[in-house]
Parts: sequence; C-alpha cells; structure tokens
Amino acid sequence: MNTKQPGPTDRSSDGGSSTAPIIAKGLVRHFGSVKAVDGVDLEVHEGEIFGFLGPNGAGKSTVIRMLTTLLKPTAGSAQVAGFDVVTHANDVRRRIGVALQDAAIDPLMTGNELLHLQAVLYGLPVSQVRARADELLERVGLVGAADRRVGTYSGGMRRRLDLALSLIHQPTVLFLDEPTTGLDPMSRIALWEEVRRLNQEGTTVLLTTQYLEEADQLADRVAIIDHGKIVKEGTPTALKASVGAPTLLISVAAAQALTARDVLAKFGELRTTSEGSLGVGLEGGAGAVTDVIRALDDAGVKVQHLELNEPSLDDVFAESTGYRLEGAASTGMTDAAGPAPARKRGRRK
Amino acid sequence: MTTIAATPSLSPARSKGLWMSQTLAMSKRSVLAMVRQPALVIPSLIFPLFFAALGSSSFGRAVRLPNFPKVDNFLDFALAGTIVQGVLFGSVTGGAALATDIEQGFFDRLLTTPTSRVSILVGRLAGAAIFGAFQALFFMVVLLPFGVSIKAGVAGAIVIVLCGGLTAMAIGGFTAAMALKTGSSEAVQGSFPLLFIALFFSSAFFPRQTMQGAYRRIADINPVSHLVEGARGLVTDGFTAGHVAAALLVPAAIGVFSIALAVRTLYSRLAAR
Repeated sequence: MNTKQPGPTDRSSDGGSSTAPIIAKGLVRHFGSVKAVDGVDLEVHEGEIFGFLGPNGAGKSTVIRMLTTLLKPTAGSAQVAGFDVVTHANDVRRRIGVALQDAAIDPLMTGNELLHLQAVLYGLPVSQVRARADELLERVGLVGAADRRVGTYSGGMRRRLDLALSLIHQPTVLFLDEPTTGLDPMSRIALWEEVRRLNQEGTTVLLTTQYLEEADQLADRVAIIDHGKIVKEGTPTALKASVGAPTLLISVAAAQALTARDVLAKFGELRTTSEGSLGVGLEGGAGAVTDVIRALDDAGVKVQHLELNEPSLDDVFAESTGYRLEGAASTGMTDAAGPAPARKRGRRK
Repeated sequence: MTTIAATPSLSPARSKGLWMSQTLAMSKRSVLAMVRQPALVIPSLIFPLFFAALGSSSFGRAVRLPNFPKVDNFLDFALAGTIVQGVLFGSVTGGAALATDIEQGFFDRLLTTPTSRVSILVGRLAGAAIFGAFQALFFMVVLLPFGVSIKAGVAGAIVIVLCGGLTAMAIGGFTAAMALKTGSSEAVQGSFPLLFIALFFSSAFFPRQTMQGAYRRIADINPVSHLVEGARGLVTDGFTAGHVAAALLVPAAIGVFSIALAVRTLYSRLAAR
C-alpha cells in the first residue's frame, strides 16, 4: 500500500508481531448491508501513539469498538494486549483503558464518585481506591471539581475526567476515540500534553481523530481510513513526504534575490511565492535545509527570513481519498486556523 | 518498557467478593440517581397517595358492602394497593434509567470494564428494591396519622417493607428486560399505561369478592391481585404465616421469572453485538 514506512518496519522486525499490543487482521464489520469496516489490517507497536484519521462515518469508531470488545467482528480477528478480543474479551478489558466519544459520563454523579465506581468495576483493592482516585484527579487537574456533579463540568473537564476514568487500573493500552472533538484549542492542547505524558510513561495509545493537526502533533504513525478501509499508513513525516517535497521560503534583500535564486535552484524546483520571498521545493526533504543555508552563506546571501512549509496531512488525505478532510469536518479547527506550530516546527522525534 | 501491571485474573473467592462489591456499587449508583432527580421520583410517591385519598373519601362507605372483607376503614384496605401502585410507577423509572444508560452510552462504558455483566443488571434491580422498600415505608408512615393501623404490628410492617422491595425487584425485572430489549427509554415509559391496566384489573382498589363476571376472572389470574393481597392481609387481618408467605413469596416468584427474563435479554443483547 504505502512503501514509505521507515519507522514501523524497523520496529516490528525487532519486536516481533506477536508482542505488538494491538494487532488486527482482516477486520470486517457489517451492519446489515452496510460495510462499516471492510478489511482492516493494523499493527500498533508498544509505546507508540497511533492515530486513526478519517471523516465521520469512515469506520474509525467501529474499529475501536471491535478492538475494545464492544462489537464482534463480522470477519477477521484482533488481538489486544496479547489476547483475542472475542475469545478472551475479559483479559483484554482488564488491560485496556477506553475513553469513547459517544459513551456519556453520568451527569448526576460527581467526578470522585465515578472514579470510585470505575475502580470497583476494575476490581481495585478498596485500600487503593482513594489514593488512586486522588492521584488521577490531581493528574488531570480536577481536584477542585472532584465533588461537583459531572453535569456542571465543561466539555474539556469531561474529557479530562474521561481520561482519568480510563486510567484507573493503569492500563498498558489506551484507546481514545476522538478525545478532543468539540473542545476549544486550549483544552485540546492540554489533553494532547497529557496523552504525550502517558505515552512517555510507556502507555501505548490508539486514538481516532478527524483533526489532521491532532494526528500530526500526537501520532507516531497515522492510518488514514475511508469507507471502512485503510487507504494509507505511515509516520506523518513519511506520509507527507510521499505527497511531495516541503517548500522552503526565504526572504532576502532585493539586491541579492538573483544570487539567492540561483543557489536555491540547485536544491529543487523553484516555486512561485508572493511578497518577494523565494521558494523552493526541497527534493532532499526538510533535512536539506542546513545545506541550503550553508550554500546561501557561501554565496554571500544574507537570509532575512526563513520558513519551511511541509505538505500537510490534508494533502496526504486528499491524495489518498480524493477529497479534503477539513471541509468534511468543519468544526472550526483547520490546519490553517488552528494553533499551527506543526507547519514549521519539526516533528518531536 | 511498560512496567505497570494490569489487573490480574482473580481467584474464585476474591472474584465472588468482587461481584458483590460491584453489584453494591452499581446499586448505590441507581439509588443516587433517584435521590438526585427528585422530579422523577416524587410522582411515584404523590400519585398513589392521591389515589388513596380519593378512594377513601369517595368509597369510604364501600367497606359496608356485602362481601367486602372485614376492615376497620377504607384506608386500611387501600394501603397495600397504594404501595404496589407506587412500586409499579417507580419500576418504570428504574427501567427507563437503564434504557437511558444504553441510549447515552454509559452502558457501553460499563461493558468496556471487566465487571460482571449480570452485576450491572442486578445492581440496577437492587437499587430498585431499595427504593421499593423505602416507598412501602413511606406510604405506611404517611398514612398512619390518617387512621391506618397495621394489624400485624411492627413485624408485619417489616414484612410489608420487604414486600415492597421484592415487588420493586420483580416488576423492575420486566422493565429492565424491556429496556435491554428496546434500548429506548421512551419505549419503557410507554409501558406505563400497561401497568395502569394491570393495576385496574386487579384487586388493588377493590376486593375481588365484590367483583363479577369477566372482570373478576381477570382479577383472579392477575398477578398484581396476588401481589397486593399478601400485604393487605397483614394490614387488615394480622400476622399469619399465610399472609407473610403471600406477601413475600408472590413477588419472589414473579421476580425469579422476570429477572431470568431480564438476564436472558441481557445476554441476547450482548450476543447480538
């Protein structure tokens, strides 16, 4: 399907597929005549954040519901945390944390009560429940709201409580179904940070999202799902690289523009830009930036401003599916309008 | 990399204790839901009292009719019917709450945990039983100043409270089965008129002895009649083994049937996923 998968292929060769915390083979789920999921193969590696990207109705949630034992596959099989999701559902449930977008939190209960209930449902020893609940409330910043009914919580607070609930039993694998849908940008970033922190502590995370930026920011690898099938899979960087070269934009003094243009032309196709800056599609990828700078410096060109624009996941999405996701999911969060450090900042690894 | 241990499998003894605590936690939740939504609960406390007041002022002298069982006043006769009526209404609320859990996804949230599936159901029914017992106590205490006297004394009152709890569980089994079958709180609430019919075609408001024809035959086979008459015997007649047995065994027997039905519906719902 996608040939550019540097990270994962390397990792699975040393880890071995049998130890991967999430493995799905040919997962199919029909609802009557509707093929919601139509043959999904998936392997998520230990310690990874895996992003499942797709528009509403693409089959993301149905895959998650099968992996979390809520739905039985029509065909195919899946193993989560080393156990089959159908034949050893309870073993799976003990090891996974689940926060589902469409699973409401009882608005009549307080955060504290829900954490205690959740602890009992997971069979935590009574002696540990209180300390664990307090620890999690602290962690998600809900100590002050712990004894308020959930009905009075904001959307962001509910999601954070939901995350805390899913962590009560210290799961090794965490499923987050659209964890930030409908959240304001601040709450979204706070949740991202928490997910990263959990991941750094060793939790494998599978999250679904309809936000490109979320997948780009959080996920080590991304699978794009459309009409129940994975149409593309890989690291965000590799996926974006597969679509085209990143564009380097520079601004120089007018007198040096011609020299600069000659230098840039050696690194790729020149691109038209506005406002007097120069652009080049870096054939060597983002890594070639240092070479460009060096060459410009050697030629005596003084760079006033520099900007690297990578192809966005939206470009990848458009190429894989034939349409743009942002238009479909117009919840106010777009690559351009969002707090978009993703564009310029390198990936975190 | 991942050093955190997930919840391990449990020994049978520990898992039995766990089942109890899970069921208790679930029943606590359903009681909390009732306490925190007084608007849902109050009608099931007020309307039966209204019917009792109406009955005793309109039909107060009916107790002198030939064939009417021997009672001191109409309220004594009406008390058991009032309790069963309240419990029936309350059970609709409990069933609807379960359906709401299904509709809004809280049920799925529970299903992603390793908790026993049956404890989700039993917890709900235990919560209903606690409320039913409370209703029985409530109606007795409220009607006491208006002349109700319980011939079977305190022991009888305790049996009536138990009867209220068992009845709530028995009827709750049916409404839970309906919730699990339909997953729709509206459908469960739609059963309300059915319960009303079951109530009117029983001896809840009038003794079977004064009924005639088809009406009498329906009341004879209507389980609601038998639910009411055990508790009624304790109020109007006294503490006898027969009345105690009827007050406890009739709802228990119905409960065995309805809970089995609910468990079956639960498993067929889970199997259909």
